[in-house]
Amino acid sequence: MSDQVLLSARGLTKRFGAVTVVDDVTFDVARGEVLGILGPNGAGKTTLFNLISGDHAANGGELSLDGSHLQAEPPFKRCQRGIGRTYQVPQPFGDMTAFENLMVPAMLSAKMKEAEASDYCAGILADCGLLARANTLAGGLTLLDRKRLELARALAGKPKLLLLDEIAGGLTDAEGAELVELIRRLRDRGVTIIWIEHVLHALMAVADRVLVLNFGVKIAEGTPDTVMQDPEVQRVYMGIEA
Amino acid sequence: METIKHMRVARATTSSRIAMTFGIMVLFALVAMPWWATSGNIRWAIELCCYIAIAQMWNLLAGYAGLVSVGQQAFIGVAGYLLFVLAQNFGVNPFVAVFLSVIAPAVLAVPTYLLLRRLDGPYFAIGTWVVAEAVRLATSNIDYVNAGAGMTLRVMTQYSQHEREVAFVLLCAVLLLATIGGSYWLLRSRHGLALTAMRDNPVAAASQGVNVGRLRFCIFVAAAVGTGLAGAIYYMAQLRITPGAGFDPFWASMSIFIVMVGGIGSIEGAIIGALIYFFADRLFGEFGSAYLIVLGLLTLVIALYARGGVWGLLQKLGDHPWFPVRRKLIVEDKA
Repeated sequence: MSDQVLLSARGLTKRFGAVTVVDDVTFDVARGEVLGILGPNGAGKTTLFNLISGDHAANGGELSLDGSHLQAEPPFKRCQRGIGRTYQVPQPFGDMTAFENLMVPAMLSAKMKEAEASDYCAGILADCGLLARANTLAGGLTLLDRKRLELARALAGKPKLLLLDEIAGGLTDAEGAELVELIRRLRDRGVTIIWIEHVLHALMAVADRVLVLNFGVKIAEGTPDTVMQDPEVQRVYMGIEA
Repeated sequence: METIKHMRVARATTSSRIAMTFGIMVLFALVAMPWWATSGNIRWAIELCCYIAIAQMWNLLAGYAGLVSVGQQAFIGVAGYLLFVLAQNFGVNPFVAVFLSVIAPAVLAVPTYLLLRRLDGPYFAIGTWVVAEAVRLATSNIDYVNAGAGMTLRVMTQYSQHEREVAFVLLCAVLLLATIGGSYWLLRSRHGLALTAMRDNPVAAASQGVNVGRLRFCIFVAAAVGTGLAGAIYYMAQLRITPGAGFDPFWASMSIFIVMVGGIGSIEGAIIGALIYFFADRLFGEFGSAYLIVLGLLTLVIALYARGGVWGLLQKLGDHPWFPVRRKLIVEDKA
């Protein structure tokens, strides 16, 4: 099993002053798996991503990728080791075009040469429906296109672990279905995915397992069906009292 | 889903080809100045080249690396002093010493950056000013460099006026190639991509594989070296340096004016700003403090109403870069 584990988190903890935002969270993610993360607002989901990507330093616990520790590594190193992420609030390089936004991780994280990176990024723009906006400044894109750009940019770094933070919000049903298809294709190519999402039908359509957080504490973990039947999850996340 | 059959990335534009041709012509004209221009014009050209170079380096620092320094005069002064010491006290050929003098700003930049790197925004700016003042005060108290009285480059008398002018215009050409050409090369490379990403959003840049800390360090040292080379050439032409002149905070305010008025975050902006400053100084300098007030007001108006400076305003009329650093994806065939 350990050979199958790509990311391992043990007792991960993050405090902001007196508030513990992520509290002793332990989980594994297997290679090629899609792990969904659920939880009400303020549950610590995005902070958990920040701990994995290195945007925040953990106060406790251990984190390893491919069996080697991640804690001491800064965000750029983690990206170069194969962790790609999107931000819940899109963080594009506003004065660079959509195409140039993708060239950054392609050349600096995946270390592709200019010509190879150009081909690769153009392909991703087409995959994500952004080809027509390739030369538009990212700061001038609509919110929806910015969200697409977040995903496209994360993919441009050729990640082996992809952290998706609420990328389906605001999509139409057809766009949501396209996104699910894209995520399936990525998984089939061997990309491991952790996906925070409130659009449940999209997440459940593709997640192999789901982990639920509440006030920073892991309250459930398992297959989507089992987790959604969990009375504690139903109470906390859906407001259904047993 | 679209499939791309054939694509290419375009970088050069018609405007950039025209600008490149014009730039090469200007460089040739500069190098030929001793044969067609007066000594006064050559002095002006040296000054202008130094302004452009110093502003270009400040633009890299503030416009791309997000490091707003008001202490670049530290590097101008130490490079100038090392040149004078090497040429005057050690007998090194001054035209060799001018290149060796960049060692001083490089050496000073390393501990300065390590000391200040944890400071943000205004704190970093104040820190650089403090370092520059400390270096000025230290220099003012070192007898070896004549303390506050400064040094004179007497060794230059061994060269004729014409020989000096030929050497100076060549040095200026090298300076422009190193600072403008170097910035252009850097911004077109993968490091430029990283630098531009860092300028736009340093946190997101780090999460996309950009080593923000190392890049900032390299830019700080490179800007110190470029600024120092310009300073050494400037004071070599002046034949005299004092702590008050070499470490004058005027250098920082001039850089800020040039880059803000010309257009921060673009090579073109620093050139335009330097030209505006240089000619404004020549035309209105005689009005003294009134002229400085007008320059200050102009900076304020630009900061309030035209953040992109004159170059930003020109860009609104049409995208015609002189130094194209963008990558434009052109899909020629898709299915």
